[in-house]
Amino acid sequence: MLNRVVAALLSASWAWAQDVEALRNAARGGQPQALADLAAHLDRRNDPEARQAYGKLLGANPDANLRRSALRRLVTLDLMAGDNTAAAEHLRQYREAGGTGLPASMPQYAKPEPMPTIDIPGPIHSFSRMAALSPDLRPEDLLPALARNVVTNGYQASSGQEGKEQTEFLKLVFRYLGQARELDKFSGAEKKINIDQCDTPRTAELLKILGYRIRGACGGDITLETVNAGRAFLTIDSGFPLAEFEQSLRTSRPFVYDYKPTQVPVLYGPDYWLSVEKKDRGEFIDVFMSDDLLCRLYLGMAKIDHNTAMEMKKTISLQRLRAFAHVIDFFGGMYQIRDGKVPVPGGARSEAMWAELVGAPPSQGVQFIDKLFSKDDGWLNSYFDALSRIDGPVQTYLTEPERLKRFYTAIRGRVTSPGPARPVFRSNTDLMLLTTRLRLEPNGQPHIPGGIEVWRDLFVNHPHGKYDGKLTKGAAGWKNPDDVVEALFALSRKAVENEPLKIFMGLTDVNRKRKQPLTADTADRIARSWRLISSQIPVFTEVDLSDAAISQYLDNVESISAIKDQNPRADTAGSFQALVSLWQVLSRNSLIPAAQSEPALKEILDGFLKLRNHREVFDSSVKGVRALLKATGTPDNANPQERMIALIAGTSRPGDEEAHQQMVSEANRIFESQRLISLKTLLDLADHIEALGKGEKLNVALVNRLQQRMQEIQLPRASLTGAEKNALSFGYWTEKHIENQRKMSLRQTLERSGADPNKLGDARAMLAPILRDTLVGFSYAYYAPPGAQLLKTNPLFVRSHDFLGVQGTNQTWRQTEVLGTGWPSSAGGRLVGSLAGMAYALAEAEQNFLIPSREQALIWGDLVPQMILMAKTARWWSVTPEQMHFVGLHLRLGESTVADAMIDSRRRTEMITVLSRQASPGRAAKVQMLLEQGDLKSALENITAAELVLLGADWMAKHEDDDSVHGREIRRLRQFAPAAVNWAAISRVFGTPKPTLTSSFQPELLNLRTFPTLMGYSSRIMAESWESNLLYYAALADETYTNPARLNVLIPEWTAETVQRIFATHLEDWPALLRSMRNVGDDVRKKARNGASDKAEGK
Amino acid sequence: MTISLRFTLAAVVAGAAGLGLWTLVPAARAQQTQEERPTFRTDVNMVVLSFTVTDSKGKYITGLKHSDFRILEDGISQKMNTFAEGNKPPVQVMEDGSTRQLIVSGDGAASRQPTEGGDPRLDAFVGTNVFVLFDTSNYMYRGFVYASDAIADFIRGLDRADSVAVYTFSRNLSRAATLSRDRNSAIFGLRKAVAGDDAALYNALLLALRDAAKVSGRKVVIVFSNGPDNASMVAPDDVRQVAEDEGIPIYVISTSDVSKDPISSNVFKRISQRTGGQVYFAKTWQKQVEAFESIRESLGNSYTVTYYPQANPNDNFRKITVEIASDAAKKYRVRARPGYRPSRSF
Repeated sequence: MLNRVVAALLSASWAWAQDVEALRNAARGGQPQALADLAAHLDRRNDPEARQAYGKLLGANPDANLRRSALRRLVTLDLMAGDNTAAAEHLRQYREAGGTGLPASMPQYAKPEPMPTIDIPGPIHSFSRMAALSPDLRPEDLLPALARNVVTNGYQASSGQEGKEQTEFLKLVFRYLGQARELDKFSGAEKKINIDQCDTPRTAELLKILGYRIRGACGGDITLETVNAGRAFLTIDSGFPLAEFEQSLRTSRPFVYDYKPTQVPVLYGPDYWLSVEKKDRGEFIDVFMSDDLLCRLYLGMAKIDHNTAMEMKKTISLQRLRAFAHVIDFFGGMYQIRDGKVPVPGGARSEAMWAELVGAPPSQGVQFIDKLFSKDDGWLNSYFDALSRIDGPVQTYLTEPERLKRFYTAIRGRVTSPGPARPVFRSNTDLMLLTTRLRLEPNGQPHIPGGIEVWRDLFVNHPHGKYDGKLTKGAAGWKNPDDVVEALFALSRKAVENEPLKIFMGLTDVNRKRKQPLTADTADRIARSWRLISSQIPVFTEVDLSDAAISQYLDNVESISAIKDQNPRADTAGSFQALVSLWQVLSRNSLIPAAQSEPALKEILDGFLKLRNHREVFDSSVKGVRALLKATGTPDNANPQERMIALIAGTSRPGDEEAHQQMVSEANRIFESQRLISLKTLLDLADHIEALGKGEKLNVALVNRLQQRMQEIQLPRASLTGAEKNALSFGYWTEKHIENQRKMSLRQTLERSGADPNKLGDARAMLAPILRDTLVGFSYAYYAPPGAQLLKTNPLFVRSHDFLGVQGTNQTWRQTEVLGTGWPSSAGGRLVGSLAGMAYALAEAEQNFLIPSREQALIWGDLVPQMILMAKTARWWSVTPEQMHFVGLHLRLGESTVADAMIDSRRRTEMITVLSRQASPGRAAKVQMLLEQGDLKSALENITAAELVLLGADWMAKHEDDDSVHGREIRRLRQFAPAAVNWAAISRVFGTPKPTLTSSFQPELLNLRTFPTLMGYSSRIMAESWESNLLYYAALADETYTNPARLNVLIPEWTAETVQRIFATHLEDWPALLRSMRNVGDDVRKKARNGASDKAEGK
Repeated sequence: MTISLRFTLAAVVAGAAGLGLWTLVPAARAQQTQEERPTFRTDVNMVVLSFTVTDSKGKYITGLKHSDFRILEDGISQKMNTFAEGNKPPVQVMEDGSTRQLIVSGDGAASRQPTEGGDPRLDAFVGTNVFVLFDTSNYMYRGFVYASDAIADFIRGLDRADSVAVYTFSRNLSRAATLSRDRNSAIFGLRKAVAGDDAALYNALLLALRDAAKVSGRKVVIVFSNGPDNASMVAPDDVRQVAEDEGIPIYVISTSDVSKDPISSNVFKRISQRTGGQVYFAKTWQKQVEAFESIRESLGNSYTVTYYPQANPNDNFRKITVEIASDAAKKYRVRARPGYRPSRSF
């Protein structure tokens, strides 16, 4: 795939790529200014040649200013290239040349303190395979990752007994260790497994350990075959080089396999973790894996910043820490002790209240933390954690002392057990969402959508019963926003679904970008019909709709839901939702101008308000299609099918015809694979049927075109009988939908109709389900994930979209779900529910078709669909080169900031302060420590691309006069294209959709801390808070002089590549994603640069 | 049994092998310049059809000639382009019914992975491209190592002309060893397979077929699984249709009893029969070895013809019939895929 990507890059005739050649030519004259221009240009594009270019500039006897600038930049570039010696020399010269702003000399880097280690028998890759650990883990991260796997997957409830028993996964790890110890012994003092000859007792002994025996005589015919399945399984599964061993035996060559034990660092050393009693029970690794609580504590302590953890370790006994391991694991990441004191959310103003709540003042450092984690089974700590993750006015509001206490009391409730840290995932999801997404009005009060009255009424007179008896009672007396927020906090502790909070967040999201907030009536109506329409909220956040339009949408939902007959209801809902989905897509990509967006939606809504039969469904669908085409400025004589496909591809005026054609072809391929009927055929038929009523002759060719296509549709070939399927109620209505289309004979109906308007109306009605599929097909084609195997393989996938769901569930307006997976008797998986979450569901269904590039312990789950969603929700036709360059410059400036922080303690402090707004204290401290040790590469590996961009932005905000090559260029871009080059515009083009977190598919950057996995959402919210991909790809495209229009093709391809290379250990292993992304970037850069140099050399 | 964290092994991602244009060049004129050579283009429209002929006792009948067969599509007689028996090199069938030996030269060298240890130009129509698809999901946990042994034996026993790829799957597909004539590399890949968790057999089979479809010449997919599928999104019959259209026989070795999982058994029977392959229910290691032996025998005793379809208005499923023209041979039974759908271009 990358070859195609590179070809695309090379073919992109991006003007700035030609600039480089012009600059190179100019620099050949050796003039200092020309050399400086070339060096700056290469530097801005992150070209590794930049260092050399600056070097040439220095050799060309430049003036003092040019010389100083070049030396200044070389210091940073040397550091980034890992060449500290050159950096020291350039720093010296820079200072000699009168340069300021950097220290006089390179600092003395601290030596990393060696961590005590333990030995694990055998090579690390074998242990990692067995324990499901990524081999890319740094040594010090190995035990925390193992600990996590033991905690999450090592134990299960024991059948018939209290307590837990090991899972098969953990049993296998232990069995492997047993075999590895035998091999370790076999490998002798040299720790090498040596086999010189085939027919020796030593060979037999090794084979016995491995669980194999020899078949055939020694020599070329030898074959190894299993004799002990248990051992053989471990041999293969752990990656022992059995095939190589076998080959050695066959060819009578010596077999040598290095079997040195692996040294694994242990935090604080093994003695700390093992009591005297446990030390006698075996080696550290066995005792460790046998104790899931110990593992959990290890995991928790590893997340806390080093100095804080050391303080805790010094003061609090291991037994006590172990007893609260669950709380420390989930909420310890935000602990920090600075100068003996715990910085608390709210700062000095809130310290006294924290002291009161916790039972110790923050100034007491460890004592405060001890009291915090041991209080109320983790509720207070979860509150502390949630508040520590936010900053700004919302944190100020929530940490006002009295409010702090009041809301804590609400969260805590009367019965504290079970606490939020008891389950495998954090169960304080709602608390974190509430604190993250609460909005404040300009007066500092929280935004209560619709006003307090709406909420009071909802709690008192809830249409589906009371949420909470006590809250209902108290609601009548609510007077101010705090009362509502308190109720939401109180509900956040409940294990059941927190509907009011979801309503609150949904309505807040709708209001977030509106000029005028929703009126009380509209808010009230949405709240009351929440169970029906909650999944439809993203429609209201797509553009700033009037209250009237939202109300009308709700009318439509209710009206369609009231259709009693299942088939017409499915067709009406399907057509309506497909039109709305297309409207969203076209509005999102500005293909419908903002001013036309609501009128276009209104035309669709008007048509679907009160439909009585299929004839009206068809007529309204046609009207809706025409409204969309008109709103997008489609000429009257345009072919509607071709036009719609072109719009699906994303633009009517592509900046790169080849890229656009590629996208059009892909959409056509999907359309064709699904055997859908062309919009043109359907609209022509609609017109023709109307003309028949006026006496026109039947156009047989036109009718046959449709008929022939319908004959290509085949019923799903499932192994269940019709009766069985009916009994299961699975897929019944979708098959009926398909069957009806196959049975239909339009020609016969038309021939019998003559000019009878009623009969012709029946003919039009026959087209309604077909038009529904065509419209749904456009929507599927727009969001089709890279590869789109499902859409290209199952010709009924679109037609099988089930708008009704299993009987009795009424899923018409609910979130889209994937159903029917892994059931060989079914006609394959299908999507069920509304089209609201179709993009995500489609990505979810498609993700397992991506082929990992290495052996994997992956994090597909929720992360990959979200990554695919990022790549398919928006198009990038309107992106300008300046916008890509702006992102690229900030990312590189961020990297430079980190590099400079390695030699300048003042800059380091500043940088770490900014990073701490995004990274946990533990990670920020780790980055600081790595920089103090002079390990820039590792430090950068711990910072995400989004964080680097933020570091760059923060630097520019604080140093408006920055004179670096990046700073000057950023200012130039801002002046050159102020409308495109600003953070709001960047957020729109390189932000990500966050349907769960913000109820919106509109891409945006929120600069949130990366969330952990959360109960009820797994890693989906974490994935939505991950904003690095598109920023990184934008910078990558900028570096490689890619035409921005090609992002439409490249981003899905790069995303697929990134996914295929993720080699993660667990759900929160985002560093693995970062590694994978950078790995793809390295390949793209390398191939693009090789390609460019080949091109330059005329190869 | 849960090994929920474990996934499958994947080796290097196979380079994309395109539906390259391959030229078939008469051997006698191989030394002539490119301009003089008569070229016979194979592209997506060329049909590759493999079939076996057996007698009433199921014994393979070999030694038949191209003139003994008649190929029909929807009843329309087709003109054979090439004919090959077993792993012998193909012969070109001339207008007058005579034949002559071919070698294969490829401007598709870049679009097809060259097999190791052989002249890539000869690959396309000599030997079979065998894709082994090994189920490493939890369902195969108990039989994992025995299956690995049986597959290793099978790979070693393949004809020298054959190429083999080893793919494994659980929830995802892994290309453990890409298509090659190097048996060691295939076995190295096989022996490094990691046991996984869920089973997405039909997803994996689809992806294996897509890879196989990119390779010119005769190809088969051999599935080694015990049947259950709890993670696929595609239906078996949609996958079967891809195999049918691409002319790729699917052989299935099920390590389960035929009666234990009737749904999977029926699916296995259907997808193998409809694609011209076979299904074996082989619960024991011995039976599995026998099944592989039978597949090897089938590959070695099959006939392969290529032809460009005659004009046919039918854009949908085209029924293929292989008739044995000679009277003496009419008692024989032919096993071939029943038909295909012509591909469409965009």
